[in-house]
Order: sequence, then C-alpha cells, then structure tokens
Amino acid sequence: MNFAMALDYQSCIDCKACEVACKEENGVQLGADKQRIWVTQSEKSIFGEPFVALHPSQCNHCQDAPCVDVCPTGSSYFALGGIVMTNKDTCILCKGCMEACPYDARFVDDTHVAVDKCTFCYDTRIVNGEMTTACQATCPTKVRLFGDLDDEEGELIQMLTKRKFYVLKEDEGTVPKLFYMLPEHDKNFAMNSVDPGTNIYTWDTYKPIIEMAKAKRKPQWQTMQE
Amino acid sequence: MANYAGIEINAVSLKSLLTSKAMYVAYGFLLFALFGVIDVFYERYFLLSATAFDAGLAPGSREVAEAMRAAVFGPGGEVKREAPWSLYIVNYMYMIYVGSGIIFIVAVAELIDIKLIKKAAAGYLTLGLAMIIAGLFTIMMDLNVLHLHHMFLSPRFTSGMWLMLPLYIVYIPLVIFEIYLILAHKDVWVKKIAVAILILSLLVEFVEFYVQAKLFDMNSARHLWTTYPVLPLYFMVSSFAGSAAMMILHTYLVYRHTDRSKCAGLMSIIQKLTLYTVLALGAYEATAYLFIDKKWAEIILFGAFKYYFYAYLAMAVGIPFILLFKDFTHNGYKILASVFIIMGTYLGKMIFVYGGNAYPMSDRFGVGFEKYSEYEPVRDVIFFMPPLGEIAIVVGSFGIIILLYKVVDTYFSVSKMQEH
Repeated sequence: MNFAMALDYQSCIDCKACEVACKEENGVQLGADKQRIWVTQSEKSIFGEPFVALHPSQCNHCQDAPCVDVCPTGSSYFALGGIVMTNKDTCILCKGCMEACPYDARFVDDTHVAVDKCTFCYDTRIVNGEMTTACQATCPTKVRLFGDLDDEEGELIQMLTKRKFYVLKEDEGTVPKLFYMLPEHDKNFAMNSVDPGTNIYTWDTYKPIIEMAKAKRKPQWQTMQE
Repeated sequence: MANYAGIEINAVSLKSLLTSKAMYVAYGFLLFALFGVIDVFYERYFLLSATAFDAGLAPGSREVAEAMRAAVFGPGGEVKREAPWSLYIVNYMYMIYVGSGIIFIVAVAELIDIKLIKKAAAGYLTLGLAMIIAGLFTIMMDLNVLHLHHMFLSPRFTSGMWLMLPLYIVYIPLVIFEIYLILAHKDVWVKKIAVAILILSLLVEFVEFYVQAKLFDMNSARHLWTTYPVLPLYFMVSSFAGSAAMMILHTYLVYRHTDRSKCAGLMSIIQKLTLYTVLALGAYEATAYLFIDKKWAEIILFGAFKYYFYAYLAMAVGIPFILLFKDFTHNGYKILASVFIIMGTYLGKMIFVYGGNAYPMSDRFGVGFEKYSEYEPVRDVIFFMPPLGEIAIVVGSFGIIILLYKVVDTYFSVSKMQEH
C-alpha cells in the first residue's frame, strides 16, 4: 500500500467543512492557526476584477519527507503505507521538522507540547480498515480523493490516469503525494491558480518518480507508534 | 588551601562567594531567567485552554464562550508555524559557537606555543565552557524537557539534532579535563598527555562546527541555510570574531589591575587575532551573498532586514576594523571594538536565524503568497517578536556565565596566570 490523495481544487467552495471535520474527529487543538488541514487563498485581479484562488492544503505526506530525517527521536516517522506520522509522546519539540517542511504543514499542539500534523486519519480511520479520511467524507463538492497508489484498479489511480495533475514545490525534491488536479477545461482558472512554469504530470510520468522514492524510503516504514 | 588530585583548591567560605560583587550581578541576570522559566513553563505546562468538550459540558456558559474565543483568536501559543526557530536558537548558537571558538583559539595557541595565551588559558577555557553551558540552558528551555529522555530511548543517529547529544557528552568533559590539565601542571604525566588531549579537542571542535552546520543544512526548505557557502566555515569565521572580542573583554576585566604588563601583551596579541577574524568575516559576507538564494538575499540585502544587515556589518566588521587597524595604545579602543563585535555578531546570528524563516513557505502554487485563514493578512516577510518569557530566559543566560565563571575562579583561581 502507498497512500496518497488527489485534490480537485477547482471544486473547493471554502465552506471549511473539511477543517471542522478534521478538528472534531481528530481532536485537534482549537485555534485559527492550529490546523491540520486548511484552505489558503491567493488573491489577484484580472482586468481589474478580483480573483481568488482557493487551495485546500495539508501535509503532502512526501514519499521522501525531509521532516523525518531531521527528527532526533524518531517521533516523526513513516507509518505503513508511507504516511508521515508524529508521535507526540516522544516529540521533544525541537521544531526541526517544522523548519524542514516546505509546506508549513506542521504546528505545535500546545495541549500536548508537541508537534502535530495531518495523519490522513491513519490512527482514527485507516488502521480500522476504512478507506476515507474525515475531510474527504465531509466535503460537499468532492474535492478530495484518498486512495492507494499501489491499487491500479482503485478510484485514485483511475482518476490520476484520466486527468493531468501537478505537485507542490517539486524542486524541493520531497516527492509529495498530494496531487492537484489541473483544471484542464478552464484555462483561465488554471492559469491563475498555478505558476505556468509548474511541471504538469500524467500518472505514467509521475509513477517512476514515486516508485524510486518509495524504494528508497520503504525500509523505514513501520507500524504505528502507540 | 587544599590540594586534590594535583590541583589546589582555595579555602573560601560560601558566604564570601555568595556575597561578592560579581555574584550580585549574576543574581540580577538570573532573576530574569527565573521570571522567564516560570512564565514559559506556566504557559507550556499549566495554562488550561478551552476545548470543544468544555462547550459540550457547559453549553451557554459565558465564561466558556469567552475562553473559546481566546483559544481560537488568541495569540496561538509560543511557537508560530511560519517561524519555529526564534531567539532561543539565536542565543543558543551565539553562546555555543563563541564559547567553542574561545576553546578552539586557546587550543591552537597552546599547540603553536603562544606563551601569554597559554598562561591565561584556564581562564579563557572556563569562560568558553560557561558560555556553552549557558547556550545549553537556553536550548533546554526551548525544548519540551519532559520528553528529553527520548533522546536516549529512541535515538535517530543520523539527525543533526540528535548528534548534539553525544557531541556535548564528549565535548564538555574534554574541556573540563583540559582545564584540569592546566591547573595540575606540575604533574609529569599531565605534560605527557597534554598534546594528545589538545589534538583530540581540536578534532572535536571541527566535528562540532560540522554538526552545527548539518543541523541547519538538513532543513532543505530554508534556502538561506542551505545555500550559505561552506556553512561550517562560516560558523567558524563568525564565531572566532565574537570569541576574540570576548577574550579582549575578559583579559581587560581580569588582568587590568593584577598583571598590567602581561595584560598589555595579551591585549596586543588578541587585538591582532581579532583584526584577522574581523577581516575574514567581512570577506566571507562580501562573497556569501553571491551564492545565497536570491529570494532570501533580497529580503536581507534590500528588503525588510536591510537596516539590520548593514548595522551588523558596521558593528561586527567596519567599526572594529577602524578601531583595531591602527595600533592605539589606549585600551579603550580595543574594548569599544570588542563591544561592537559582540553586539554585531549577535545581530548577525539573529539575521541568520530569523532570515532563514523570513521568506514565507506559503508561495506553494507559484501564484503569490497565500494567507492561511480569513483572520490573517498575507505575509510577504515572516518575523514575529519573541514572547517576554523567551527574552527573559535569553537575558538570564548571561547570569549563568557570570555565576559559573565566578564559582570556578573562586575555588580554582583559573584567572591566575599559570606556568605550564
């Protein structure tokens, strides 16, 4: 198994249902800045008309995650399925993982005095055999699709083979596993929601990158730390 | 006076130690540390924050509603997700690097036989060690001390952060042993192993600067740190300038009344050393920004950090160079130069740490910086003022240096010139 998520971000209506579901189901600390998942906004104007791009975001669960390497106690680790997890009981709050993350995906959970982040609901859903995350289950416009990259028949791979996508900050070499689906039929939206220089992938072109990073990191995958 | 394991221990009453002038100065600083520790620990471990469960248990409660509002829209804890490393790291870096730099300079002086520095070596090494311990105190306060035992229980050996543990477990006893060797100079066996220990300590110094650089270099997202050319070398060069300045101040404060001729000689040697280190630092900074990622370089050279950067260059390089280049006989110029260097290099460390976080990570789609919620403005430069408790701990760490130095000097006379 190799878990990942596709985001059809053009469908996001910024209703925040995903944020609420994540907080409620995972017991995330209250606070406007304490988010495992969030929807960012970048504002522009086109011919004087305001344009807002909504970008639903969370941890990219990078296949080659730098946050795991810097952790001195193994508190940041790869769980089975390549999900990047944190163990709050062994976190010494050195904050190195927060510095290493190119996506600002980590924050300090003050109630546990430890670093927190998105787990793809691994501890609350996936280990119990479910194949959806709280954010996916609650989204009214079906922005998110969680799935297994090793399941060629699965819904996720089916979607990735049909549509083009891109990943964030590819130059950082982290091999992210959040796939942003390119709004192919709305060139105007696509042009204004992503840098024109970004590499656009099909599954055939991205799969070898994922496989190479997976081969490097899979020996580090481990069962969930209690 | 008693003799134990080859070193003489002064018979000084605890009362006279605790009521000395230097200790009163230390107490003043330590009061800040105490306030900071209480403030930080209270907020970190004892302050209760409202949760959704509270709302469920007491629906309609005005107090709970107020507490939830504070939890959601309040300052949001001591650590900001956009700038996790802050003043703690600045102070840690400064204390550790400058302290290690002093120890490095003394070890080299011993090896190449600079007699005056050799005579004052015990005092310098004690100062360096006290700074390292003050730095470790600062970083301890930054971390979750209740979980620190996991550094032993579940180590990740390849992490730069973890490598600090074995490093200081070896390094600190080694420096203490060096000081012991100097104080126990009459023993023959001491003379036999002294050179071996010196070489070992120099090797550990190189390892230390390498590990410190690895700590920053592993954060691949912060390009200021990853594109700084030869980071261990930069750490060494910038540290040595601060170390030499500290040695000037120490020499003046300790020897100005007791050993005037040797004080003048020492000041002259360290003045030259300071001049070379300041020149090296200037040359390094002049070329480094040719290689540093332009997004970060723009903020530091021409953006929000520019006045701090030029103030740093003026204080750490420009003004000291003018004051030290001409061999003024009056010590006032050297003292003034060293004070400027100490302040300037501290500012330099601030620029390095805060500058590393200054370029926001939020431009993830390449269409401009994003804001994380409706409640925040879009930030094109990241900077947050450190909380009061953090500032107090940093100020208080200077008290630890004074306290440790005074205690060791009172009982072991480390500031006395030693023949060895």
